[in-house]
Amino acid sequence: MDCKIVPSVCSYCGTGCGVLFEVMDGKLVGTMPMKTHPVNEGKLCIKGWNLHEHVNSFMRLKQPLVKTFGRFIKTDWDEAIQLTADRFREIIEKYGPDSIGVLVSAKITNEENYLGQKFARAVIGTNNVDHCARL
Amino acid sequence: MTNSIAEIEEAGCIFVIGSNTTACHPLISRRIFRAKEKGAKLIVADPRNIQLSRFADVAVTHRLGSDVALLNGMMHIIIQNGWHAKDYIAQRTEDYEALEKVVNTYTPDRVQAITGVDQKNLERMAELYATNPPASLLYAMGITQHTTGVDNVKSCCNLAMLCGNVGIRGGGVNPLRGQNNVQGACDMGGLPNVMTGYQPVADPKVMEKFSKAWGKKLSERPGLTITDMIPAMLEGKLKGLYVIGENPKLSDPDWNHLNHALKELDFLVVQELFLSETAQAADVVFSAASVAEKEGTITNTERRCMRMRKAIEPIGNTLSDWEIICKFSTAMGYEMKYENPEEIFNEMRSLTPKSYAGMTYERLGLDGLQWPCPDTNHPGTPYLHKDQFTRGKGKFHDIEYKDPAEMPDKEYPYFLTTGRMFAHFHTGTMTRVSPHLDVEQTTGYVSINPKDAAALEAKEGDVLILTSRRGQIEVPAKLTNSVAPGLLFLPIHFGESPTNVLTNAEAFDPLAKIPEFKVSTVNIRKFSE
Amino acid sequence: MQEQVKEWLEQGKVDIFLGYKMVEGHPLPHFFTKENLAEVNDLITGSVRYPLEKIATKIAAQDPDIRIGLLVRDCNQRALNVLYVWNQLNPENVETISVNCCPSKLKEHADCSYLEPQKSGPYKKKVGVDNNMNLEEVEAYDQQERFTRWIYEFQKCIKCYGCRNICPVCFCKECSLEHDDLINTGDLPPEIPIFHLVRAVHMAGRCIDCGLCEDACPVDIPLRLLYKKVNEIVVDVFDYQTGTSPSQSPFNILGDKVTLELKPISKAA
Repeated sequence: MDCKIVPSVCSYCGTGCGVLFEVMDGKLVGTMPMKTHPVNEGKLCIKGWNLHEHVNSFMRLKQPLVKTFGRFIKTDWDEAIQLTADRFREIIEKYGPDSIGVLVSAKITNEENYLGQKFARAVIGTNNVDHCARL
Repeated sequence: MTNSIAEIEEAGCIFVIGSNTTACHPLISRRIFRAKEKGAKLIVADPRNIQLSRFADVAVTHRLGSDVALLNGMMHIIIQNGWHAKDYIAQRTEDYEALEKVVNTYTPDRVQAITGVDQKNLERMAELYATNPPASLLYAMGITQHTTGVDNVKSCCNLAMLCGNVGIRGGGVNPLRGQNNVQGACDMGGLPNVMTGYQPVADPKVMEKFSKAWGKKLSERPGLTITDMIPAMLEGKLKGLYVIGENPKLSDPDWNHLNHALKELDFLVVQELFLSETAQAADVVFSAASVAEKEGTITNTERRCMRMRKAIEPIGNTLSDWEIICKFSTAMGYEMKYENPEEIFNEMRSLTPKSYAGMTYERLGLDGLQWPCPDTNHPGTPYLHKDQFTRGKGKFHDIEYKDPAEMPDKEYPYFLTTGRMFAHFHTGTMTRVSPHLDVEQTTGYVSINPKDAAALEAKEGDVLILTSRRGQIEVPAKLTNSVAPGLLFLPIHFGESPTNVLTNAEAFDPLAKIPEFKVSTVNIRKFSE
Repeated sequence: MQEQVKEWLEQGKVDIFLGYKMVEGHPLPHFFTKENLAEVNDLITGSVRYPLEKIATKIAAQDPDIRIGLLVRDCNQRALNVLYVWNQLNPENVETISVNCCPSKLKEHADCSYLEPQKSGPYKKKVGVDNNMNLEEVEAYDQQERFTRWIYEFQKCIKCYGCRNICPVCFCKECSLEHDDLINTGDLPPEIPIFHLVRAVHMAGRCIDCGLCEDACPVDIPLRLLYKKVNEIVVDVFDYQTGTSPSQSPFNILGDKVTLELKPISKAA
């Protein structure tokens, strides 16, 4: 059996507790606190202890979706991306780049936030980029 | 946070205002308990009786939205007694006179009339805070989600500087961030007015640097905040929206208003783990990989940048958010190609000289590094403003108290405040599907004082109808003395009883554009068939 | 130690070995296998303790036939004994390497994290229960004071369930602590003192005094003392020495006539 312990950081609140993911045969089976982490010193809250549960939820989206006549249809990445890019280009051509907004997120990584705002600024050409820090 | 989480244990006094720490930042409350047990004094000011209140040397339940008056009242007493840090003020700050002039008018009588906190308690708060250095001030959304959010924050800073508590170990002004990477999202320039490391969009030199690095002339027109985007959608100015990992339908201040606005969009694309309320309204949904399925860094509330590591392969046909953005960008005609997040991180740090430049994946290790970290030999910064404030001198602000946008009246006699409970998180997309969290609280509820409930002849679990000027929701009652008569509390996690049907989208801080989630007024009646 | 583990893995005496490895300056639990034999050179005993035997039960639940080796200190061995008698691990499939972590006269009940106990602050000593006390010292308080001090400790609880989650001998599928009829769910702090007392009662005849619960408690509740008390009762009344042997029936504590059977190891959901 292929088992491993992977150190990471809890993705709930802003405290940033060190966690260990327990992985068995490619499945996430548990979360433990990292004993020697400077933030949480081997302790976690109820949310941190159960961090793996939302990852494994059957409610997770498993493929891109496109809405057609009010209903979501499962699709692949190429179609979902191409369709969205086409629609965004149409909007930009018609109304200009400031007619697009991008909401990056306090839940994604620094690298992804960096790319998100780069996307808004360099690709779309707008500074309409924000996230839910206020909410 | 100006200071570090572990430093809280070294404080002589801890002042918690507008933070239900044990429920919302449990591992920070650990430090508060430990400090208290080592002998620190604890002051808790919160409109509700929270768990920490039981352990406080003085705990007050000030009226919703009266924080500025409370803090000015404390400063009034501190100055009257000469407890302020005179040398520190003279050497390290400016505009003290303006502050003194304003706080002079906040006599204990006046403060009691506004806040409901009596003179004895106010004096005790002032004395404990001023005479037990170093004092650490902790706050969360209870300070910021107000029409006077910026004023509230400035008042916290005023108090901390008045007693010389900024720039010292164990002290500081410490906002507790609510999302794992809200600090990082701000640091990375996920804001309409700044690029990475808070380099202003308004500075042509900054824009030139980024234009060059990204190979594209960048717009210098200021962008819209999320609060401004909603009216822009309604006016037909904003036509397309790309939402990454957010659920504004539940987290924005006015459900009905936003619902309307989203319908006006030509195209909405949402990138999510779950089919959230917002994703349901989308034209296209991008399925994203979760925390355990990707690499990258996050920056916590104490500015500590740490690496998350991939534990398992993405579930189903999901992709990391960075991969999706790269694909999307490339399809839009701007090629983004990165081997891994480390490559993106290195591009980012090369453009962010003051704060992130000295961090590398190797240096971050498992402990991370706290910014500012300007070069690769820099050990990181546990606390800010050590010998000098970032801006030079610490500026005092003269802040007058202002009423919240809504005050109880005949039609809407109850104060309503909103927040989190311990077992759930934000809009509940992640926690309500987690069996061990769901078991704690499966539905929304409204906290109501038993006296108010008795007046309505409502028992525990009876459904109450809450009505505000915006809308109405039905929600079961939870009887508790944690709220005083006349005050109701609604948790924000539950889509079936959405708080933002009731809260006020028109009321937000003019500068920070943060909505006044913490104060609105409602009427209640018992549901009868 | 490393040679022994290599030999076991090579000979197939064990399929997987649970120990520790230093990862970027942090000792973390690690699974050593035949496929990565060279890694065994990095095997360390570790300065911290994780519930390796609990991880072993999770592995056994996935694959009941797998042969597991692990590093054990005294506390781990006691936990293993409890897991054997409760049929959560098959002793025939477990090989251990003993690590002497307790070079002290307290050997029987000492463990590494307690060899240098954390000091309790003056306020905690005044109103709470000092984590470094022994049972006699706590029981020297009169009943009213003892009660008040324990209530102080329980009121700090942030209901993380860390005490249960880290516990090597907590393996029930359904937990009374989450049963709304017994303890109100959704309250913070959890219902006092029933939440902690229910857990304490369930620790009778189970707790092997490893101290991981107290180690995992974010608010420093002296849980170990509490469970020591219930186990003392079990010893006094039933002469049941929890964790000392892999052969005693767990139903000793129910009396002589009980003929309940243990349920077999069930595959984890």
